Amino acid sequence: MDVLTAQGLPYDEMQARPGEVRGHYLALQRRLDTLDAGDLAERQRTLERFFLLQGITFTVYGAESSTERIIPTDLLPRIIPAEEWATVEDGLTQRLRALNMFLADIYGPQKILADGIVPRELVLCAPSYRREMQNLYVPHQSYANVCGSDLIRQPDGAFAVLEDNLRVPSGVSYMLANRDASKRTFPGTFRSAGVRTVERYPDLLLATLKSMAADWRSDPQVVVLTPGVYNSAYYEHAYLARLMGVPLVEGRDLVVHDNMVYMRTTTGLRRIDVIYRRVDDDFIDPLTFRRDSSLGVAGLFNAYRAGTVVICNAPGTGVADDKAVYTYVPEIIKYYLGEDAILPNIETYLCREPAQLQHVLANLDKLVVKAVGASGGYGMLIGPHASASERAEFAAALKADPENYIAQPTIQLSTAPCLIDGQIDHRHVDLRPFILSGDKIVVTPGALTRVALRKGSLVVNSSQGGGSKDTWVLSSPHRDQDVQP
Amino acid sequence: MMLARVADSLYWIGRYVERAEHMCRLSDVMLNATLDQGEAASQAVRIALAAVGEDPAESQRTPYEAAFALAVDREDTNSITSSLARARENARQVRDHITTETWERLNLIYLRVTDPRAAARFADGSSVFLQDIIADLHQFKGAADATMSHGEGWSFLQLGVYLERAQLIGRLLESGFGESHGRPVTEHVAMTGLLRMSCALEPYLRRYTADLQPRLIREFLMFDEDFPRSLRFATTQIESHLVGISRYAEHTGNAGPQRMAGRLKARLQYADIETLQLEGANALINMVLEECSAIHAAIYETFVAYSLEMRLPA
Repeated sequence: MDVLTAQGLPYDEMQARPGEVRGHYLALQRRLDTLDAGDLAERQRTLERFFLLQGITFTVYGAESSTERIIPTDLLPRIIPAEEWATVEDGLTQRLRALNMFLADIYGPQKILADGIVPRELVLCAPSYRREMQNLYVPHQSYANVCGSDLIRQPDGAFAVLEDNLRVPSGVSYMLANRDASKRTFPGTFRSAGVRTVERYPDLLLATLKSMAADWRSDPQVVVLTPGVYNSAYYEHAYLARLMGVPLVEGRDLVVHDNMVYMRTTTGLRRIDVIYRRVDDDFIDPLTFRRDSSLGVAGLFNAYRAGTVVICNAPGTGVADDKAVYTYVPEIIKYYLGEDAILPNIETYLCREPAQLQHVLANLDKLVVKAVGASGGYGMLIGPHASASERAEFAAALKADPENYIAQPTIQLSTAPCLIDGQIDHRHVDLRPFILSGDKIVVTPGALTRVALRKGSLVVNSSQGGGSKDTWVLSSPHRDQDVQP
Repeated sequence: MMLARVADSLYWIGRYVERAEHMCRLSDVMLNATLDQGEAASQAVRIALAAVGEDPAESQRTPYEAAFALAVDREDTNSITSSLARARENARQVRDHITTETWERLNLIYLRVTDPRAAARFADGSSVFLQDIIADLHQFKGAADATMSHGEGWSFLQLGVYLERAQLIGRLLESGFGESHGRPVTEHVAMTGLLRMSCALEPYLRRYTADLQPRLIREFLMFDEDFPRSLRFATTQIESHLVGISRYAEHTGNAGPQRMAGRLKARLQYADIETLQLEGANALINMVLEECSAIHAAIYETFVAYSLEMRLPA
């Protein structure tokens, strides 16, 4: 165990111990040594201007108004060596394969519930469980076509999965934009480092989406469904549509007639085969889900049931990334694949279990408590950083509705060098790789590294003051890489 | 084939950028005219105010206040800033249909006019401020021309530009020569002002020399075949883009706007210019404005808000 962790300090991406730079960061360190604060600031300004010009912005929802902002982007790349990535890639592939099998099972024969591996009521009572999906044919049993898992490093440096995102994960456009930007910022270092390419993501996504309709159409019409220009991730929706070369549609552009989905074009109605929807389950069809939704398309779900259109990700995938179901993922992997999980989970307490609830209540000042259904950094308590009254408030909520909460130890997250006010300082980061699953599973060799820009903060969500940086996955000379999968 | 909503947005981008550019020119010429004294200058101011829909007799504002509001007032829906904000908002909604180069130009103009320092920069030097926007808009149009496919989407963008242009020039001619706006323009300074507002001074001089005559100005702005801001040129473009769009349509239901545009183009192309008097010219301008509104409505009916019953598969 090295000095940093021995002192209770988090794992640092760049330094094994103060002053000792890890091998895969040496080239970047040497480049940084030749740049003074002015050069760095200049590069940072160029980078921000690039983002602003492109309109790479997201919307922050405030109490009264919402504003359009550039996502804070850090200049310095985070670097992951090839052998570490190999583990991540294998682990993520294994995990998504098992989760898709789990979804096919619970929306099918429900063997895993019958065998008592996962408690029946935990799944069937989860708000994200969609009864409407029961016994519905999903091509390749790929329910979650796009998955963005959140990984963090444990103090010993090993990656673990903090969260799976199987609903409508976002952030991939920042991965691509950050890559564009860092190629401009450190071209020499980038070239000699042997960074694996992420630029194939849009065409791999398109191939994944098309494979979902391969049953009945050789060249299916794919569209991206967005809630519209006011959605916080609108930039990403437009970006992906543009790079895939497919229409970006809103609910009001679509019509369902005789269980077929059409879009309104200038020359009449055109049939649609695959919908990559970036609209939550609740809002896709007012006839099936929320009646007050104006974002969706009336009759869409019936067309889906009739098998004339594919919705990606499938409705109801949220049940597999539910924070309570999460605790069972290692067992789920074991059950379907007969393998041990390559990437471990973070130790999690289920407050629904009385004994674990007692433990959580007694250790609120050490734990992170999360509402099961919430996401985006909302509805959570970080015990060590919370005030006594905030903790008391959460304790009351926990006792009132224990089933709605889980708790995890406060994990330090690893740190990485960032440019903060012109100086290089270390901030906490996580890692969100993107995994595609259609007729096969593909892990993009890259990721979005999210940064908690406030010193000491552990919250990386962009809605809560987080930023991002490019992630360089290095290629290994021993592996054949970047061939068409 | 493109989404009806996308076609609509592209069309409006065209209209709003054209409107912003025209309003920049009006403001600039008007503010310039206020620097001079006398009847000629006040004629120029009157034309500009009338062209933006303000009654010069009723207006409580000085020409400077009017130009300032026209430039940077976001509350004013006709202002240059509002037009640019709307153009950019539409562009954001069809970000996947315009090239990055095109988008960046428009986004840049938007960021400049909505900058908190924009009002101060206008006060500091209105002419530089307005000329910069015009130059930026030319860059936007140039980038669009050079990088976008000249297909259906392009045609909708151009339709917006030329319909807006025909209406703006028509209204400018109305306020310059129409009966409802007091005495027609006669003063030399006012006539050059009118030509400047339509970006026509230099092309006019090349065509007719420095012999400025109201009749020739009307003739140039209405019937010139090659000048890109004449009514004839604009209506020719409208017709040709509608023909272009109909290439993509499989059904014949869109004959409406195309037929109207063809008829309008022909009336300007074959007008009896030699014998046309002031009254006849005004009637013709009025007809052009009405036909443009009708074409606008027909485009919307045909390509965007058509009734679904007609288009559902049997």
